[in-house]
Amino acid sequence: MAAVGSAIGLGNVWRFPYICYANGGGAFLLPFFIALFTAGIPLLILEFTIGHWSQQPPPAAFKEMNKKWEWAGWWATFIPFLVSIYYVVIMAWCFAYMLYAIDLRWGTNAETFFLQTFLRVTNGPLEFGGISIPVILGLIAIWTMIFIILYKGVDRIGKVVLLTVPLPTILLMVLTLRGITLPGAIEGISYYLTPDFSALTNVNVWLAAYAQVFFSIGVAQGIMITYASYLKKTSDINNNAIITALADAGTSFFAGFTVFSVIGYLAASQGVGIDQLGIAGPFLVFVTYPTAISLLPAAAAIFGILFYIALLTFGIDSAFSMIEPLTAGINHRFKITKTKTTAVLCTIGFSLSLLFTAGNGLYLLELMDHFVANFGLVAVGLVECILIGWFGPLKYFQTYANKTSEVHIGRWWTIIIKFIIPTVLILLLVLSIIENILHPYMEYPWIALLLFGVIPLIAIIIISIMIMKKSQKEET
Amino acid sequence: MLPASALIMFLFGVIVIYGGLAYFLYRAFKGKTK
Repeated sequence: MAAVGSAIGLGNVWRFPYICYANGGGAFLLPFFIALFTAGIPLLILEFTIGHWSQQPPPAAFKEMNKKWEWAGWWATFIPFLVSIYYVVIMAWCFAYMLYAIDLRWGTNAETFFLQTFLRVTNGPLEFGGISIPVILGLIAIWTMIFIILYKGVDRIGKVVLLTVPLPTILLMVLTLRGITLPGAIEGISYYLTPDFSALTNVNVWLAAYAQVFFSIGVAQGIMITYASYLKKTSDINNNAIITALADAGTSFFAGFTVFSVIGYLAASQGVGIDQLGIAGPFLVFVTYPTAISLLPAAAAIFGILFYIALLTFGIDSAFSMIEPLTAGINHRFKITKTKTTAVLCTIGFSLSLLFTAGNGLYLLELMDHFVANFGLVAVGLVECILIGWFGPLKYFQTYANKTSEVHIGRWWTIIIKFIIPTVLILLLVLSIIENILHPYMEYPWIALLLFGVIPLIAIIIISIMIMKKSQKEET
Repeated sequence: MLPASALIMFLFGVIVIYGGLAYFLYRAFKGKTK
Protein backbone atom coordinates (compact mmCIF):
# COMPACT_ATOMS: atom_id res chain seq x y z
CA MET A 1 0.00 0.00 0.00
CA ALA A 2 2.86 2.41 0.87
CA ALA A 3 4.53 1.62 -2.46
CA VAL A 4 1.27 2.29 -4.32
CA GLY A 5 0.89 5.55 -2.34
CA SER A 6 4.44 6.52 -3.21
CA ALA A 7 4.00 5.72 -6.88
CA ILE A 8 0.71 7.60 -7.20
CA GLY A 9 1.32 11.30 -6.76
CA LEU A 10 1.54 14.61 -8.55
CA GLY A 11 3.35 12.69 -11.28
CA ASN A 12 -0.02 11.22 -12.26
CA VAL A 13 -2.36 14.19 -11.91
CA TRP A 14 -0.03 17.09 -12.68
CA ARG A 15 2.97 15.81 -14.66
CA PHE A 16 1.37 13.09 -16.79
CA PRO A 17 -1.40 15.28 -18.30
CA TYR A 18 0.91 18.20 -19.09
CA ILE A 19 3.66 16.01 -20.54
CA CYS A 20 0.94 14.27 -22.53
CA TYR A 21 -0.41 17.62 -23.78
CA ALA A 22 3.10 18.95 -24.56
CA ASN A 23 3.81 15.84 -26.65
CA GLY A 24 0.65 15.97 -28.70
CA GLY A 25 -1.96 14.25 -26.48
CA GLY A 26 -2.71 10.87 -28.04
CA ALA A 27 0.74 10.92 -29.69
CA PHE A 28 2.25 10.36 -26.24
CA LEU A 29 -0.03 7.58 -24.98
CA LEU A 30 1.37 4.78 -27.13
CA PRO A 31 5.05 5.44 -26.21
CA PHE A 32 3.92 5.75 -22.58
CA PHE A 33 2.31 2.29 -22.60
CA ILE A 34 5.34 0.79 -24.37
CA ALA A 35 7.70 2.41 -21.82
CA LEU A 36 5.56 1.03 -19.00
CA PHE A 37 5.84 -2.56 -20.17
CA THR A 38 9.40 -2.50 -21.53
CA ALA A 39 11.01 -0.57 -18.68
CA GLY A 40 8.67 0.43 -15.84
CA ILE A 41 7.38 -2.99 -14.77
CA PRO A 42 10.66 -4.96 -15.32
CA LEU A 43 12.68 -2.33 -13.41
CA LEU A 44 10.13 -2.24 -10.60
CA ILE A 45 10.37 -6.04 -10.27
CA LEU A 46 14.17 -5.68 -10.14
CA GLU A 47 14.03 -2.98 -7.44
CA PHE A 48 11.48 -4.90 -5.35
CA THR A 49 13.76 -7.94 -5.60
CA ILE A 50 16.87 -5.98 -4.53
CA GLY A 51 15.06 -4.50 -1.52
CA HIS A 52 13.40 -7.77 -0.52
CA TRP A 53 16.66 -9.71 -0.89
CA SER A 54 18.91 -7.29 1.00
CA GLN A 55 16.38 -5.96 3.56
CA GLN A 56 18.56 -2.84 3.62
CA PRO A 57 18.46 0.68 2.13
CA PRO A 58 19.84 1.16 -1.44
CA PRO A 59 23.48 2.04 -0.57
CA ALA A 60 23.87 -1.04 1.64
CA ALA A 61 21.98 -3.20 -0.87
CA PHE A 62 24.32 -2.22 -3.72
CA LYS A 63 27.32 -2.65 -1.43
CA GLU A 64 26.17 -6.17 -0.60
CA MET A 65 26.15 -7.01 -4.32
CA ASN A 66 29.59 -5.49 -4.87
CA LYS A 67 31.65 -3.29 -2.54
CA LYS A 68 32.48 -0.95 -5.41
CA TRP A 69 28.81 -0.28 -6.13
CA GLU A 70 27.86 1.53 -2.92
CA TRP A 71 28.02 4.86 -4.78
CA ALA A 72 25.22 3.76 -7.13
CA GLY A 73 22.97 3.20 -4.11
CA TRP A 74 23.77 6.64 -2.70
CA TRP A 75 23.25 8.20 -6.12
CA ALA A 76 19.82 6.58 -6.38
CA THR A 77 18.87 7.93 -2.92
CA PHE A 78 20.06 11.47 -3.62
CA ILE A 79 17.99 11.74 -6.81
CA PRO A 80 14.55 11.60 -5.09
CA PHE A 81 15.81 14.04 -2.44
CA LEU A 82 16.68 16.42 -5.27
CA VAL A 83 13.20 15.88 -6.73
CA SER A 84 11.57 16.50 -3.33
CA ILE A 85 13.12 19.99 -3.19
CA TYR A 86 10.96 21.23 -6.07
CA TYR A 87 8.13 18.69 -5.70
CA VAL A 88 7.30 20.18 -2.29
CA VAL A 89 7.24 23.65 -3.89
CA ILE A 90 4.44 22.51 -6.21
CA MET A 91 2.64 21.09 -3.20
CA ALA A 92 3.07 24.44 -1.44
CA TRP A 93 1.44 26.10 -4.46
CA CYS A 94 -1.41 23.57 -4.24
CA PHE A 95 -1.78 24.34 -0.53
CA ALA A 96 -2.11 28.06 -1.25
CA TYR A 97 -4.50 27.43 -4.16
CA MET A 98 -6.67 25.19 -1.99
CA LEU A 99 -7.25 28.27 0.20
CA TYR A 100 -7.57 30.63 -2.79
CA ALA A 101 -10.26 28.35 -4.25
CA ILE A 102 -12.61 29.28 -1.37
CA ASP A 103 -13.31 32.69 -2.96
CA LEU A 104 -11.83 31.97 -6.42
CA ARG A 105 -9.12 34.53 -5.66
CA TRP A 106 -7.56 34.29 -9.13
CA GLY A 107 -10.55 36.19 -10.54
CA THR A 108 -11.05 36.44 -14.27
CA ASN A 109 -7.37 36.28 -15.24
CA ALA A 110 -5.78 33.22 -13.64
CA GLU A 111 -2.54 33.68 -15.59
CA THR A 112 -1.85 37.19 -14.30
CA PHE A 113 -2.77 36.09 -10.79
CA PHE A 114 -0.44 33.07 -10.91
CA LEU A 115 2.54 34.79 -12.51
CA GLN A 116 2.36 38.30 -11.11
CA THR A 117 0.35 38.30 -7.90
CA PHE A 118 1.23 34.84 -6.55
CA LEU A 119 4.75 34.06 -7.85
CA ARG A 120 5.89 37.58 -8.85
CA VAL A 121 7.72 36.04 -11.79
CA THR A 122 10.75 37.87 -13.21
CA ASN A 123 12.02 37.96 -16.82
CA GLY A 124 14.45 35.05 -16.66
CA PRO A 125 16.03 32.32 -14.50
CA LEU A 126 18.93 34.50 -13.39
CA GLU A 127 16.80 37.42 -12.23
CA PHE A 128 15.78 36.61 -8.64
CA GLY A 129 13.20 39.36 -7.92
CA GLY A 130 10.98 39.38 -4.83
CA ILE A 131 10.00 36.57 -2.50
CA SER A 132 6.48 35.07 -2.48
CA ILE A 133 5.30 34.93 1.15
CA PRO A 134 2.33 32.55 0.45
CA VAL A 135 4.77 30.05 -1.09
CA ILE A 136 7.05 30.23 1.98
CA LEU A 137 4.07 29.64 4.29
CA GLY A 138 3.00 26.71 2.12
CA LEU A 139 6.52 25.27 2.25
CA ILE A 140 6.58 25.49 6.06
CA ALA A 141 3.22 23.66 6.21
CA ILE A 142 4.24 20.85 3.81
CA TRP A 143 7.77 20.25 5.18
CA THR A 144 6.34 20.17 8.75
CA MET A 145 3.76 17.61 7.61
CA ILE A 146 6.49 15.47 6.02
CA PHE A 147 8.60 15.61 9.19
CA ILE A 148 5.64 14.66 11.42
CA ILE A 149 4.83 11.66 9.20
CA LEU A 150 8.42 10.46 8.81
CA TYR A 151 10.05 10.86 12.21
CA LYS A 152 8.08 8.01 13.76
CA GLY A 153 9.15 5.64 11.00
CA VAL A 154 7.51 3.02 8.85
CA ASP A 155 4.52 2.29 11.11
CA ARG A 156 3.20 5.81 10.72
CA ILE A 157 3.74 5.73 6.94
CA GLY A 158 1.53 2.62 6.85
CA LYS A 159 -1.25 4.42 8.74
CA VAL A 160 -1.04 7.65 6.69
CA VAL A 161 -1.33 5.87 3.33
CA LEU A 162 -4.58 4.22 4.46
CA LEU A 163 -6.08 7.70 4.07
CA THR A 164 -3.90 9.30 1.39
CA VAL A 165 -4.38 6.55 -1.20
CA PRO A 166 -8.17 6.04 -1.30
CA LEU A 167 -9.26 9.63 -0.52
CA PRO A 168 -7.73 11.37 -3.57
CA THR A 169 -8.80 8.47 -5.80
CA ILE A 170 -12.42 9.01 -4.75
CA LEU A 171 -12.01 12.78 -5.24
CA LEU A 172 -10.55 12.20 -8.70
CA MET A 173 -13.59 10.09 -9.61
CA VAL A 174 -15.94 12.87 -8.46
CA LEU A 175 -13.94 15.44 -10.45
CA THR A 176 -13.96 13.23 -13.56
CA LEU A 177 -17.71 12.74 -13.38
CA ARG A 178 -18.09 16.52 -13.29
CA GLY A 179 -15.48 17.02 -16.02
CA ILE A 180 -16.93 14.66 -18.60
CA THR A 181 -20.39 16.19 -18.29
CA LEU A 182 -19.09 19.64 -19.31
CA PRO A 183 -19.65 20.98 -22.85
CA GLY A 184 -16.56 20.44 -25.04
CA ALA A 185 -15.31 17.60 -22.82
CA ILE A 186 -15.56 15.04 -25.61
CA GLU A 187 -13.22 17.12 -27.84
CA GLY A 188 -10.70 17.25 -25.00
CA ILE A 189 -10.89 13.49 -24.48
CA SER A 190 -10.62 12.94 -28.23
CA TYR A 191 -7.39 15.02 -28.26
CA TYR A 192 -6.11 12.92 -25.36
CA LEU A 193 -6.88 9.54 -26.91
CA THR A 194 -6.38 9.96 -30.67
CA PRO A 195 -2.99 8.42 -31.53
CA ASP A 196 -0.58 10.21 -33.83
CA PHE A 197 1.72 7.59 -35.35
CA SER A 198 4.02 10.20 -36.90
CA ALA A 199 5.08 11.19 -33.36
CA LEU A 200 6.64 7.73 -32.91
CA THR A 201 9.63 8.94 -34.94
CA ASN A 202 10.22 11.86 -32.54
CA VAL A 203 12.96 10.96 -30.04
CA ASN A 204 11.80 13.61 -27.55
CA VAL A 205 8.38 11.96 -27.25
CA TRP A 206 10.06 8.65 -26.38
CA LEU A 207 12.43 10.23 -23.88
CA ALA A 208 9.51 12.04 -22.26
CA ALA A 209 7.57 8.74 -22.09
CA TYR A 210 10.38 6.80 -20.41
CA ALA A 211 11.19 9.69 -18.05
CA GLN A 212 7.49 9.98 -17.13
CA VAL A 213 7.22 6.25 -16.38
CA PHE A 214 10.35 6.42 -14.15
CA PHE A 215 9.20 9.61 -12.41
CA SER A 216 5.67 8.39 -11.86
CA ILE A 217 6.28 4.81 -10.71
CA GLY A 218 9.25 5.90 -8.62
CA VAL A 219 11.84 3.55 -10.11
CA ALA A 220 15.49 4.58 -10.43
CA GLN A 221 15.08 6.62 -7.25
CA GLY A 222 15.89 4.15 -4.51
CA ILE A 223 12.33 4.54 -3.21
CA MET A 224 11.06 1.11 -4.19
CA ILE A 225 14.25 -0.62 -2.98
CA THR A 226 13.74 1.06 0.40
CA TYR A 227 10.04 0.17 0.63
CA ALA A 228 10.66 -3.41 -0.51
CA SER A 229 13.30 -3.76 2.23
CA TYR A 230 10.44 -3.38 4.74
CA LEU A 231 8.45 -6.24 3.15
CA LYS A 232 8.10 -9.53 4.98
CA LYS A 233 10.28 -12.34 3.65
CA THR A 234 7.13 -14.17 2.58
CA SER A 235 5.75 -11.25 0.53
CA ASP A 236 5.06 -11.83 -3.15
CA ILE A 237 7.57 -9.73 -5.13
CA ASN A 238 6.36 -9.99 -8.72
CA ASN A 239 2.68 -9.54 -8.00
CA ASN A 240 3.30 -6.55 -5.70
CA ALA A 241 5.49 -4.90 -8.35
CA ILE A 242 3.01 -5.44 -11.19
CA ILE A 243 0.06 -4.23 -9.08
CA THR A 244 1.99 -1.10 -8.04
CA ALA A 245 2.96 -0.25 -11.63
CA LEU A 246 -0.52 -0.90 -13.04
CA ALA A 247 -2.22 1.06 -10.24
CA ASP A 248 0.08 3.96 -11.00
CA ALA A 249 -0.47 3.79 -14.77
CA GLY A 250 -4.21 3.36 -14.20
CA THR A 251 -4.31 6.55 -12.12
CA SER A 252 -2.40 8.48 -14.81
CA PHE A 253 -4.70 7.15 -17.54
CA PHE A 254 -7.75 8.08 -15.46
CA ALA A 255 -6.37 11.53 -14.52
CA GLY A 256 -6.00 12.17 -18.26
CA PHE A 257 -9.80 12.04 -18.59
CA THR A 258 -10.24 14.38 -15.59
CA VAL A 259 -7.83 16.96 -16.97
CA PHE A 260 -8.48 16.73 -20.72
CA SER A 261 -12.26 16.96 -20.28
CA VAL A 262 -11.70 20.27 -18.48
CA ILE A 263 -9.18 21.36 -21.14
CA GLY A 264 -11.81 20.62 -23.80
CA TYR A 265 -14.36 22.63 -21.85
CA LEU A 266 -11.94 25.55 -21.55
CA ALA A 267 -11.12 25.49 -25.28
CA ALA A 268 -14.84 25.42 -26.12
CA SER A 269 -15.57 28.28 -23.70
CA GLN A 270 -12.81 30.44 -25.16
CA GLY A 271 -13.54 29.42 -28.75
CA VAL A 272 -9.99 28.23 -29.47
CA GLY A 273 -8.44 24.92 -30.49
CA ILE A 274 -7.10 22.64 -27.73
CA ASP A 275 -3.56 22.82 -29.10
CA GLN A 276 -3.77 26.62 -29.02
CA LEU A 277 -4.25 26.78 -25.24
CA GLY A 278 -0.47 26.75 -24.80
CA ILE A 279 -0.39 24.72 -21.59
CA ALA A 280 3.14 24.25 -20.29
CA GLY A 281 4.43 22.80 -17.02
CA PRO A 282 2.66 24.04 -13.90
CA PHE A 283 0.32 26.20 -16.01
CA LEU A 284 -2.02 23.24 -16.33
CA VAL A 285 -2.79 23.08 -12.63
CA PHE A 286 -2.40 26.74 -11.73
CA VAL A 287 -3.74 28.59 -14.78
CA THR A 288 -5.77 26.28 -17.01
CA TYR A 289 -7.60 24.55 -14.17
CA PRO A 290 -8.45 27.69 -12.17
CA THR A 291 -9.71 29.34 -15.38
CA ALA A 292 -11.95 26.36 -16.05
CA ILE A 293 -13.11 26.29 -12.41
CA SER A 294 -14.16 29.94 -12.62
CA LEU A 295 -16.21 29.19 -15.73
CA LEU A 296 -18.18 26.40 -14.06
CA PRO A 297 -21.90 27.09 -13.90
CA ALA A 298 -22.32 25.90 -10.29
CA ALA A 299 -20.34 24.90 -7.17
CA ALA A 300 -17.10 26.25 -8.63
CA ALA A 301 -15.44 26.80 -5.24
CA ILE A 302 -16.25 23.27 -4.04
CA PHE A 303 -14.88 21.83 -7.28
CA GLY A 304 -11.70 23.90 -6.86
CA ILE A 305 -11.15 22.99 -3.21
CA LEU A 306 -11.68 19.28 -3.93
CA PHE A 307 -9.22 19.41 -6.84
CA TYR A 308 -6.41 20.89 -4.75
CA ILE A 309 -7.13 18.60 -1.78
CA ALA A 310 -6.86 15.66 -4.21
CA LEU A 311 -3.51 16.96 -5.46
CA LEU A 312 -2.21 17.49 -1.92
CA THR A 313 -3.25 14.06 -0.68
CA PHE A 314 -1.88 12.43 -3.84
CA GLY A 315 1.38 14.31 -3.39
CA ILE A 316 2.06 13.91 0.31
CA ASP A 317 2.88 10.17 0.33
CA SER A 318 5.10 10.59 -2.74
CA ALA A 319 6.84 13.53 -1.06
CA PHE A 320 7.75 11.66 2.12
CA SER A 321 8.73 8.57 0.14
CA MET A 322 11.34 10.74 -1.62
CA ILE A 323 13.03 11.57 1.70
CA GLU A 324 12.78 8.05 3.15
CA PRO A 325 15.56 6.37 1.07
CA LEU A 326 18.18 8.95 2.11
CA THR A 327 16.94 8.89 5.73
CA ALA A 328 17.18 5.09 5.79
CA GLY A 329 20.59 5.17 4.06
CA ILE A 330 22.10 7.67 6.51
CA ASN A 331 20.49 5.94 9.49
CA HIS A 332 21.96 2.61 8.39
CA ARG A 333 25.42 3.85 7.35
CA PHE A 334 26.18 6.49 10.01
CA LYS A 335 24.04 5.07 12.85
CA ILE A 336 22.29 8.43 13.35
CA THR A 337 18.74 8.09 14.71
CA LYS A 338 15.89 8.36 12.23
CA THR A 339 14.37 11.31 14.11
CA LYS A 340 17.62 13.30 13.89
CA THR A 341 18.23 12.35 10.25
CA THR A 342 14.66 13.25 9.28
CA ALA A 343 14.88 16.60 11.11
CA VAL A 344 18.19 17.48 9.41
CA LEU A 345 17.03 16.39 5.93
CA CYS A 346 13.70 18.24 6.24
CA THR A 347 15.57 21.39 7.34
CA ILE A 348 18.03 21.10 4.43
CA GLY A 349 15.15 20.32 2.05
CA PHE A 350 13.16 23.32 3.30
CA SER A 351 16.20 25.62 2.96
CA LEU A 352 16.85 24.47 -0.60
CA SER A 353 13.14 24.76 -1.48
CA LEU A 354 13.37 28.44 -0.52
CA LEU A 355 15.38 28.92 -3.75
CA PHE A 356 12.11 28.45 -5.62
CA THR A 357 10.18 31.10 -3.69
CA ALA A 358 11.83 34.01 -5.48
CA GLY A 359 10.60 35.54 -8.73
CA ASN A 360 12.69 33.14 -10.81
CA GLY A 361 11.37 30.07 -8.94
CA LEU A 362 9.10 28.96 -11.76
CA TYR A 363 11.98 28.95 -14.29
CA LEU A 364 14.28 27.08 -11.90
CA LEU A 365 11.60 24.52 -11.11
CA GLU A 366 10.95 23.68 -14.76
CA LEU A 367 14.66 23.62 -15.48
CA MET A 368 15.48 21.30 -12.60
CA ASP A 369 12.57 18.99 -13.40
CA HIS A 370 13.73 18.77 -17.02
CA PHE A 371 17.28 17.78 -16.06
CA VAL A 372 16.56 15.56 -13.05
CA ALA A 373 13.73 13.61 -14.70
CA ASN A 374 15.08 13.38 -18.25
CA PHE A 375 18.73 12.79 -17.38
CA GLY A 376 19.04 11.91 -13.66
CA LEU A 377 16.35 9.24 -13.46
CA VAL A 378 17.11 7.81 -16.88
CA ALA A 379 20.85 7.62 -16.04
CA VAL A 380 20.22 5.87 -12.69
CA GLY A 381 17.91 3.37 -14.42
CA LEU A 382 20.58 2.74 -17.03
CA VAL A 383 23.38 2.25 -14.46
CA GLU A 384 21.17 -0.08 -12.41
CA CYS A 385 20.46 -2.27 -15.46
CA ILE A 386 24.10 -2.34 -16.63
CA LEU A 387 25.57 -3.09 -13.20
CA ILE A 388 23.10 -5.79 -12.24
CA GLY A 389 22.37 -7.09 -15.74
CA TRP A 390 25.96 -7.42 -16.91
CA PHE A 391 28.05 -7.69 -13.77
CA GLY A 392 25.58 -8.58 -11.03
CA PRO A 393 23.43 -11.46 -9.88
CA LEU A 394 20.60 -11.01 -12.41
CA LYS A 395 19.96 -14.73 -12.89
CA TYR A 396 19.97 -15.25 -9.13
CA PHE A 397 17.49 -12.36 -8.71
CA GLN A 398 15.17 -13.99 -11.24
CA THR A 399 15.22 -17.25 -9.28
CA TYR A 400 14.89 -15.34 -5.98
CA ALA A 401 11.89 -13.32 -7.19
CA ASN A 402 10.16 -16.43 -8.55
CA LYS A 403 10.76 -18.33 -5.32
CA THR A 404 8.69 -15.82 -3.33
CA SER A 405 6.14 -15.09 -6.05
CA GLU A 406 3.06 -16.79 -7.35
CA VAL A 407 3.39 -15.17 -10.80
CA HIS A 408 6.73 -16.22 -12.30
CA ILE A 409 8.97 -14.11 -14.54
CA GLY A 410 10.65 -15.82 -17.44
CA ARG A 411 13.74 -15.29 -19.57
CA TRP A 412 12.06 -12.25 -21.15
CA TRP A 413 12.74 -10.33 -17.92
CA THR A 414 16.50 -10.89 -18.01
CA ILE A 415 16.59 -9.99 -21.71
CA ILE A 416 14.74 -6.72 -21.00
CA ILE A 417 17.04 -5.76 -18.08
CA LYS A 418 20.24 -6.80 -19.85
CA PHE A 419 19.64 -5.68 -23.42
CA ILE A 420 16.45 -3.78 -24.13
CA ILE A 421 16.43 -1.15 -21.35
CA PRO A 422 20.16 -0.28 -21.67
CA THR A 423 19.93 -0.03 -25.47
CA VAL A 424 16.83 2.18 -25.39
CA LEU A 425 18.14 4.39 -22.59
CA ILE A 426 21.63 4.85 -24.07
CA LEU A 427 20.08 5.80 -27.40
CA LEU A 428 17.66 8.22 -25.79
CA LEU A 429 20.31 9.75 -23.54
CA VAL A 430 22.81 10.33 -26.36
CA LEU A 431 20.20 11.79 -28.71
CA SER A 432 18.78 13.93 -25.95
CA ILE A 433 22.19 15.27 -24.92
CA ILE A 434 22.88 16.23 -28.55
CA GLU A 435 19.45 17.85 -28.79
CA ASN A 436 20.03 19.81 -25.56
CA ILE A 437 23.43 21.01 -26.74
CA LEU A 438 22.11 22.10 -30.13
CA HIS A 439 18.95 23.65 -28.69
CA PRO A 440 19.48 24.64 -25.02
CA TYR A 441 16.40 24.05 -22.86
CA MET A 442 13.91 26.92 -23.35
CA GLU A 443 16.81 28.98 -24.75
CA TYR A 444 17.87 29.73 -21.16
CA PRO A 445 21.42 31.08 -20.62
CA TRP A 446 24.07 28.36 -20.30
CA ILE A 447 25.07 29.48 -16.84
CA ALA A 448 21.48 28.87 -15.57
CA LEU A 449 21.39 25.43 -17.21
CA LEU A 450 24.72 24.52 -15.62
CA LEU A 451 23.94 25.91 -12.15
CA PHE A 452 20.46 24.46 -11.71
CA GLY A 453 20.49 21.51 -14.09
CA VAL A 454 23.87 19.95 -14.76
CA ILE A 455 25.86 20.78 -11.60
CA PRO A 456 23.33 19.37 -9.07
CA LEU A 457 23.30 16.08 -11.01
CA ILE A 458 27.10 15.88 -11.12
CA ALA A 459 27.42 17.01 -7.49
CA ILE A 460 25.33 14.12 -6.18
CA ILE A 461 27.44 11.61 -8.12
CA ILE A 462 30.63 13.12 -6.60
CA ILE A 463 29.11 13.09 -3.07
CA SER A 464 28.03 9.44 -3.58
CA ILE A 465 31.56 8.42 -4.63
CA MET A 466 33.07 10.34 -1.70
CA ILE A 467 30.83 8.54 0.80
CA MET A 468 31.83 5.19 -0.73
CA LYS A 469 35.54 6.07 -0.60
CA LYS A 470 35.14 7.06 3.06
CA SER A 471 33.47 3.71 3.80
CA GLN A 472 36.28 1.83 2.05
CA LYS A 473 38.92 3.81 3.95
CA GLU A 474 37.25 3.08 7.29
CA GLU A 475 37.08 -0.61 6.52
CA THR A 476 40.77 -0.85 5.66
CA MET B 1 -18.48 11.04 -30.70
CA LEU B 2 -14.93 9.83 -30.28
CA PRO B 3 -13.03 8.92 -33.48
CA ALA B 4 -12.48 5.19 -34.01
CA SER B 5 -8.73 5.38 -33.30
CA ALA B 6 -9.41 7.17 -29.99
CA LEU B 7 -11.96 4.51 -29.10
CA ILE B 8 -9.41 1.77 -29.82
CA MET B 9 -6.86 3.53 -27.60
CA PHE B 10 -9.48 3.84 -24.87
CA LEU B 11 -10.33 0.13 -25.04
CA PHE B 12 -6.64 -0.77 -25.15
CA GLY B 13 -5.97 1.27 -22.00
CA VAL B 14 -8.97 -0.10 -20.15
CA ILE B 15 -8.31 -3.75 -21.04
CA VAL B 16 -4.55 -3.73 -20.54
CA ILE B 17 -4.27 -1.46 -17.50
CA TYR B 18 -7.47 -2.04 -15.55
CA GLY B 19 -7.97 -5.60 -16.82
CA GLY B 20 -4.37 -6.38 -15.89
CA LEU B 21 -4.76 -4.73 -12.50
CA ALA B 22 -7.95 -6.67 -11.76
CA TYR B 23 -6.29 -9.94 -12.84
CA PHE B 24 -3.20 -9.48 -10.66
CA LEU B 25 -5.26 -8.30 -7.68
CA TYR B 26 -7.36 -11.44 -8.10
CA ARG B 27 -4.18 -13.57 -8.20
CA ALA B 28 -2.87 -11.83 -5.08
CA PHE B 29 -6.17 -12.32 -3.26
CA LYS B 30 -6.33 -15.96 -4.34
CA GLY B 31 -2.75 -16.51 -3.22
CA LYS B 32 -3.48 -15.07 0.23
CA THR B 33 -6.59 -17.15 0.81
CA LYS B 34 -4.94 -20.42 -0.24
